[in-house]
Amino acid sequence: MPDELSLSDIRKGEMYQVTGFDDAFSPYAEKLHKMGFVVGTPVERAPVATTDPMIVHIRGSRIALRRKEARAIRVKPL
Amino acid sequence: MHKLKKIAIAGVPNCGKTTLFNGITGARQKVGNWPGVTVEKIEGQFTINGHQATLVDLPGTYNLSPDTEDQRIAEKVIRAGEYDLILNVVDATNLSRNLYLTMDLKERTNQIIVLLNMVDAAEREGVEINAERLSKDLGLPVIPVIGVDKQSVKAAMLKIEEAVDQLPAHETHASEIEVMDTVKKYSHIDLICAQVMEEKKDRRVSFTNKLDTVVLNKFASVPIFFISMFITFWFAIGLGSVFIDFFDILGGLVFVDIPAAGMTAIGAPEWLIVVVAGGVGAGCQTVATFVPVVFFMFMALAILEDLGYMARVGVMADRFMRKIGLPGSAFIPMIVGFGCTVPAVLSARTLTTKRDRYMTIFMAPFMSCGARLPVYALFCAALFKRYSGLAVFMIYLSGLLLAIFTGFMLKSTLFKGTPSYFVMDLPLYHPPRFCAVVKNAWIRLKHFIRKAGAIVVAAVFVLSVLNSLGMKDGRVSFGNENSQDSVLAYAGKAIAPVFKPMGIAKDNWPASVALFTGMFAKEAIVGTVNSLYASMDMGSESEAPTAMDQPRSGDDEEGLDIAGTVGEAFGTVKDGFIDIVTSVDILGFGLIGEDEEALAGEIGAETAIYSHISKNFTAMSAFAYLLFVLVYFPCLAVIGAVRQEMGGFFAAVMAVYSTLLAWSIATLFYQITEGRNGIYMVLALLVLGVNYGGLYLIGKKTNSHLDDTPEDDDEERPSPCLACSSACAGKCPSAS
Repeated sequence: MPDELSLSDIRKGEMYQVTGFDDAFSPYAEKLHKMGFVVGTPVERAPVATTDPMIVHIRGSRIALRRKEARAIRVKPL
Repeated sequence: MHKLKKIAIAGVPNCGKTTLFNGITGARQKVGNWPGVTVEKIEGQFTINGHQATLVDLPGTYNLSPDTEDQRIAEKVIRAGEYDLILNVVDATNLSRNLYLTMDLKERTNQIIVLLNMVDAAEREGVEINAERLSKDLGLPVIPVIGVDKQSVKAAMLKIEEAVDQLPAHETHASEIEVMDTVKKYSHIDLICAQVMEEKKDRRVSFTNKLDTVVLNKFASVPIFFISMFITFWFAIGLGSVFIDFFDILGGLVFVDIPAAGMTAIGAPEWLIVVVAGGVGAGCQTVATFVPVVFFMFMALAILEDLGYMARVGVMADRFMRKIGLPGSAFIPMIVGFGCTVPAVLSARTLTTKRDRYMTIFMAPFMSCGARLPVYALFCAALFKRYSGLAVFMIYLSGLLLAIFTGFMLKSTLFKGTPSYFVMDLPLYHPPRFCAVVKNAWIRLKHFIRKAGAIVVAAVFVLSVLNSLGMKDGRVSFGNENSQDSVLAYAGKAIAPVFKPMGIAKDNWPASVALFTGMFAKEAIVGTVNSLYASMDMGSESEAPTAMDQPRSGDDEEGLDIAGTVGEAFGTVKDGFIDIVTSVDILGFGLIGEDEEALAGEIGAETAIYSHISKNFTAMSAFAYLLFVLVYFPCLAVIGAVRQEMGGFFAAVMAVYSTLLAWSIATLFYQITEGRNGIYMVLALLVLGVNYGGLYLIGKKTNSHLDDTPEDDDEERPSPCLACSSACAGKCPSAS
């Protein structure tokens, strides 16, 4: 898909949607999956300055994760 | 009607579980450990449907395939099905992620009642939840409650009693229950949420998110971080030390003086008095002195946690912690280490992988704890005069650098493992609830006293016996406290040559004896050097009190003055508060600025000691000695805690590693600045090399066990000492 990008590259103020995992077997991918990063879930970058770890809003909660881990999650703009 | 005996309360971290637990059980609680592990098990009694039941507070967990030690406990307990009912606390402000645990729980049992907590906070966030609808969709009773509101909890209790009667028949196995995968669970949850939840406001402009833009701001975040750390220390150590003398003096009265006077009155033999009052009693007194600092440290941490700031600290620390291969959350135990290393070691439990936990535990003792400060203060005041503040700061800094050094060293030797990841939930901010915070700190303190107290009492007991037991003219005798004839003094003289390369002369044997007593508790070094130097003055006929008695103002020579001592104890609190108000004294550094006489009074030494210290040490050898004190063998209580967390093997590795490191660092420092002895320098580097090589070899053998990221469920853990049921590391008198 052309407009697909990784979670680490999303911009503030725009809504995205999880489309899948790149590295589905890593321990953190499993953890993120259980935390609610499942296909179809809307996700948004928190309006804070911290870039690494970055903070995203998902399912009404705030989750901090490193960009390296965020790279494993694929998203597309909503 | 169901007769419920054992009820568990389960929920994700930060869902207000413990507050509800406290609300339901009131004051009737006891703290223990889950079998085999050191994770706290808090139990309380309450009445339901007219009979007594036990409520257990499970550690918070997001799901039933968890990844940290404390969460694994929750999973294990639920899997074992030893509870008649599970109260599932669900945070209304974060419904979707909380329901995931509910879905997991539903796969294990049908005896669940959902407590929809924090409905008030949800309302403030503009979220409204239809509890009836939720109950219907989940197929479970749902009771809305506001955990912090007593009336609301009371009302909820009545509803729980009603709901219990309507629960379906007990099913323990999951055969008929549909097991769903993660995706299916979440799509189910999404469906439920869409039906029961109504968002009236744009939640993105909530207070928490607004505050986060400030707290995690590019410019403001660092100052806010330092200010909050400063306040934490000021609170824990400043406020804690106000009460140290109070506990010390009262503890001395209750545990040492009164038993001693009583036993003398009934004509007990001297050795018995030494054993009971000077040994066990002095041990209890030592434990009493670190009660206030530990309590306030726990309280400060509970406040930061309750506030929601702790998670943000982890986020900021991650930027530099990742350089040594640790997640930002590993920074929190290190901060705790500045107060006391024992709780620091215990708080490493919240980390995800075994490797992260182990590495953090190894680094924590290098954060100079409160007990080491009086030692620095005494030596620096004697030798560095005006610059003593700077000298003490340099020692703290050395500790920090050595922790980083150790981190890098471990990364390439003992704990190679996979680099960790960092994923952390940022909870909502809310004002700390005073009762919950105090209760939390109190429960932890009680637990800590039981765990660490036993080992300290045992250690002080052994020490004071060795200190009292002596040989003179081939006769074994008691009452040689801090004289040159005690077994301890002989040992000190025998080992003195080992410390020669770091600048301790042979006739300065009190300094090496003090290193022995320092193994039990580092602040004991002050008492030991004080009384040993004094006994050198007086010759061998010494009437000096025991080392452990020393840090107390000794106004009890004229018999027992209970009223006077109690008055004095309260006086110290008053003085302490005046101090704390007039000076914001972080880490108690004010000790350092004081003139010699005042300082001596404060840390319980005699002014004559300064001349002894400056006679026996040069500035550089004193600094080398302090470096050694900083780094060598963490006190026995720490080793006990490490043994519990990592097993006896790693505890021994840590003891050897830190002592060798201390020796080589102190020797290198002294030889470079003053000694100028090339052979010793080479020797020190050699020891450093041996240390590295040793870790490397051990790492080669053990790394394979550490690599598996999720810890093995049923791994063997060292069982606590059967004799004293605590982390005595086999050192307690009853376990030989």
